[in-house]
Amino acid sequence: MLRIEHYSKTYPGGKKAVDGLTLHVRPGEIYGFIGHNGAGKTTTLRACAGVMDFTEGTITIDGHDVKKDPVGAKRVTAFLPDNPDLYEFMKGIDYLNFIADLYDIPADRRTADIAKYGDAFELTGNLGSPIGSYSHGMRQKLALISAFIRRPRLLILDEPFVGLDPAASHLMKGYLADLCRGGSAVFFSTHVLEVAEKLCHQIAIIKDGRLVKCGPTEQLVGDSSLEDVFLELEGEK
Amino acid sequence: MRKFFALLKVSVKSMLLSSSNMGRKNRKKAATGVGVAVLIAFLGLYMSGMYSSLLMSVLAPVHMESLVFIFMGIAALVGGMIFTAFAAKGVVFGGKDNDLLLSMPVSTTALMASRVTAIYLENLVFSFFILVPAGVVCALMTQSGAGRSPLFWARLLIAVLALPLLDTALSVLMGALVAFVSAKLAKGGVIGQNIVMALYLVAVFWFAFNLNGMIEGLAANAMGVKESLSWAAPMLWMADGIMGDWMGLLLFVLSCIVPFALMVYGLGKVYRKAVTAFAARSARSDYKLSAQSASGQKKALLRMELRRLFGIPMYFWNSCIGLIMLVGMGIAALVMRDDLRMFLALMEGAPLMPLAALLMGFCLSMVVIAAPSVSLEGKYLWILKEAPVGERTLLGLKTGFELLFSVPCTVIAGVCLILALELSPLEGAALLLAALLFCGAHAVFGMFIGLTFPKLDAVNETVVVKQSLAVVLGMFVPMGLLGLCALLYWLGGMVNGALAMALPLAALAAFTGACALILGKRGPAMLRSL
Repeated sequence: MLRIEHYSKTYPGGKKAVDGLTLHVRPGEIYGFIGHNGAGKTTTLRACAGVMDFTEGTITIDGHDVKKDPVGAKRVTAFLPDNPDLYEFMKGIDYLNFIADLYDIPADRRTADIAKYGDAFELTGNLGSPIGSYSHGMRQKLALISAFIRRPRLLILDEPFVGLDPAASHLMKGYLADLCRGGSAVFFSTHVLEVAEKLCHQIAIIKDGRLVKCGPTEQLVGDSSLEDVFLELEGEK
Repeated sequence: MRKFFALLKVSVKSMLLSSSNMGRKNRKKAATGVGVAVLIAFLGLYMSGMYSSLLMSVLAPVHMESLVFIFMGIAALVGGMIFTAFAAKGVVFGGKDNDLLLSMPVSTTALMASRVTAIYLENLVFSFFILVPAGVVCALMTQSGAGRSPLFWARLLIAVLALPLLDTALSVLMGALVAFVSAKLAKGGVIGQNIVMALYLVAVFWFAFNLNGMIEGLAANAMGVKESLSWAAPMLWMADGIMGDWMGLLLFVLSCIVPFALMVYGLGKVYRKAVTAFAARSARSDYKLSAQSASGQKKALLRMELRRLFGIPMYFWNSCIGLIMLVGMGIAALVMRDDLRMFLALMEGAPLMPLAALLMGFCLSMVVIAAPSVSLEGKYLWILKEAPVGERTLLGLKTGFELLFSVPCTVIAGVCLILALELSPLEGAALLLAALLFCGAHAVFGMFIGLTFPKLDAVNETVVVKQSLAVVLGMFVPMGLLGLCALLYWLGGMVNGALAMALPLAALAAFTGACALILGKRGPAMLRSL
């Protein structure tokens, strides 16, 4: 579903944020991406989502090259940044319709999906209010709903659990699993190692822009815990 | 005091500077700050230089030079308020860093004072560039010798420093009123703000249009005019003070310091409360979902632009004031065509069509919809970059959005002017063609300049719309293009009438084509790199 081949990103000034990253996410997989602050996780996710330009390597999503066919790649992807800033001058429902229009989602399907996810995240009643009046958690939920109604082939999430209440987090985990059962894939970064360990089929650990370990969660963790593995790889244990 | 200066630095930087993420940061930061200063300086010098010499030529012979300073003082006050009243709403009350700074161990008075001081500094630039040229005109044109002594310049300097205090006090109060209206009229906040903005602009334009009338009346009755200005007592004290009345100067300084001090003290007491109240908006929870309808990508993007334009009064009024003036001018010309024709009869032989084209172009230059549109995306830019829409389509839509408004307004105003001025079909067609080409040039250039000088980290929309370099250049470069067209018309006229019309049209077409070509070639990559 997602193929990252020899991807590197150098920022102006010469700082190499990511160096020769190769990583494959298969359909039906939830793939966790973990690493220290500044390790290169967000840079990688943003490049996959087509939000950030890059020069080295190739990234393909469901067969669409992010650089050569960006619109095709974006059409099958949904991306949620760590702090999703949404148009404050729009009402929640207007934002969802805006996204649905951009992805050509038919009227009946969008109505059903907005109702489904809106009710589940207890946000339907607030959809008539301007986003400017939403709390951080409400914005996060709205951004999640806008991602789920797209029924993406690949869902890219940057720190999706930040700002969500426990009930919403639990709900989201269920929907991520549902999405993968339908043949889609999820690629997300997190600092919550317990969640990554329980939720992910595959995990990649990145350090200073380089992939230091990746593989099926059970193999990676073994008899230890993901926290132990991570700290050991980071040289902190 | 160290904390105050640290806060002031942040406030001034957020008002003037841009930290784009395109690289070459320092150059662009400097360019943005300099661009805004140049705009204020240009407007100040233009207004002051023109009106001061006009007034002085009438008043110097009757030894009423002080009236020049009264009018320039009022102009500086009003001009400063145009620039800062609505900026005050954003900078003083609507800063997005309020939560961060209010949580820090600094007094709310120091925080508020730092923001108010940033507004003061902006007003000071305006005051300087209006009063100092008036002083130069006074020194050059009076026969009494006023303006040539060091004490005159010392008194003028005191006035230059004091006047922005009054300006700032009024701007901040106006900003508080707008913020209060926005917060109180929950659902109708945007409408309320638009009403306040409209009333404010009507007052400003009323003053500007009546200034010429006041100047005409001066020659006949200078003393009477001064007496009739008793409502502007501080300005009378300032003018008399600059001309040598130290008591008048003291009264003026006090009349500036007292309101400023009261405003700082009073607002300092309630600043945290005011900022919290103005920002407090709670989401309703009674929405009932009904069947939704679908539309296409382009319609969705256009609707989003429309919501932004009409949902942010600061953006709407600053962007569309030129269009309002354009249509207003056309309709006024048509309604008052008999008066206009009588007036034009006095200017026998004047080239009406080019004059009409210049006026239309001037109004269109002030339409800043495309230039700030990339910067207004700011923190929301990820939404468009993530969307399955090509960069070329996005740029085309943003450019087309300006044309969506400017083209119909141009056609309406153009047709009104053609009828009012009784232009021939050929002249009418040339006028419309020139104005429409100018619309295209303005929109495409605005889009390109918006991409070249993006300001994606502005603390609010006010900073983008009023103080970004893209907006400044988006207005003034097209005005320069108008000047070039006028020059080409004049040069072509030396050969024959047809060439006079053809040269400016060719220049406009070439400029539009060149901008469109550059935007089409480089624009997508520029957008991608943001």
